[in-house]
Amino acid sequence: MTIAIRVQQTTFDVGAEQLALTESRCDIGAVVSFTGWVRDFNERPDVTALTLEHFPGMTEKALHAIAQEASDRWSLQGVTIIHRIGRLEPGEAIVLAMAASAHRHAAFEACDFIMDTLKTRAPFWKKEHTESGSYWVSERQSDREAADRWEHS
Amino acid sequence: MTLTHLNARGEAHMVDVADKQETRREARACGAIHMQAATLALLAEGGLPKGDVLATARIAGIQAAKRTPELIPLCHALALSKVSVEFRLDTSQNCVHVEAFCRLNGRTGVEMEALTAVSVACLTLYDMCKAVDKGMTIDGVRLEEKRGGRSGDWSRESAPESDEIAAFNEEASSVANTVTIHFLAELRERFAIAELTLDWEQIPSRDIAGIKLALIDRDPKFKALLHQRVLCALNQAMSQDDAPIAPSDEIAFFPPVTGG
Repeated sequence: MTIAIRVQQTTFDVGAEQLALTESRCDIGAVVSFTGWVRDFNERPDVTALTLEHFPGMTEKALHAIAQEASDRWSLQGVTIIHRIGRLEPGEAIVLAMAASAHRHAAFEACDFIMDTLKTRAPFWKKEHTESGSYWVSERQSDREAADRWEHS
Repeated sequence: MTLTHLNARGEAHMVDVADKQETRREARACGAIHMQAATLALLAEGGLPKGDVLATARIAGIQAAKRTPELIPLCHALALSKVSVEFRLDTSQNCVHVEAFCRLNGRTGVEMEALTAVSVACLTLYDMCKAVDKGMTIDGVRLEEKRGGRSGDWSRESAPESDEIAAFNEEASSVANTVTIHFLAELRERFAIAELTLDWEQIPSRDIAGIKLALIDRDPKFKALLHQRVLCALNQAMSQDDAPIAPSDEIAFFPPVTGG
């Protein structure tokens, strides 16, 4: 089980990350990856950019703990989590979660779990910039509910 | 000395007081309820969900004094002429001190009424605050003094507390140090500060709640730490108000996370 965690300003290449995860292995039957992208509408309809803040040290630890928890729940060969920070514009990729397993169901579920958990537990904060000003994004009840369902499964 | 509520056969009975002279009787009783520093702060500013805690507890204590004979089996029903219940908020010991005073002209003493008033006022404080703090303890319920009646005046000798306080101060100074507090994202902007340090001696209780109180003491703007959905990390691990802290700890306050 290999865990790769990165918090970075620069963008990432999903294909390259998938190659790195599967390189020189023949026991992986499925890789599921999720990429989150910056939309130009969210709390307001005219988002021009967003700034992502994190808590250096704790953020990496939290992501590592999430990957570890996923591998405790499902039989995984590898997990990669990359999250970008700093200023991002609509149309840019912001987060990558990738889970590798022998079979697809474990990889699908683990990837889903990683994203739900990341959204409620990893210390990142988004500030959205619009024509009418900037504001910190509020937490969403739907994100908390999505994370909660894993508590009972 | 005999126990007046036992008769010659050792059975419980109510003392016949018909032949006793009416005299002025007074009694003063005390007690305290200890709670988390954050709970005390909420109580002080009226931020608890059940509303005005002290006013409710005061009425409860007075009502309880009047109903003492319904609770204590062999206690006489008394026409009390005065019942008062007072509270003192103590941030150094994280408690509310409760004091009750009862008076009447009658044939029996009012110690039980004063003690009942303190007990029920404390129970009401617990009830009013339990939504935010279930670990509260009620302690030190005791008679402080009584006047009048056959047994005369009695007063609890005030025990010297100076030794204990001196020992506490010595311990605090021998580990003199600081804790570092970080404010992240929206909280950093709201408070207009990213980081500050607190002296160990400034922290009223050795937990996250104590940190919050020390910050509020420094600047009322930090009250937002009590009201908002504020998260806290102690040495980079998510922690609650009751998490114990040590010198050199790193504490961070931040809003709910919104990554992904």
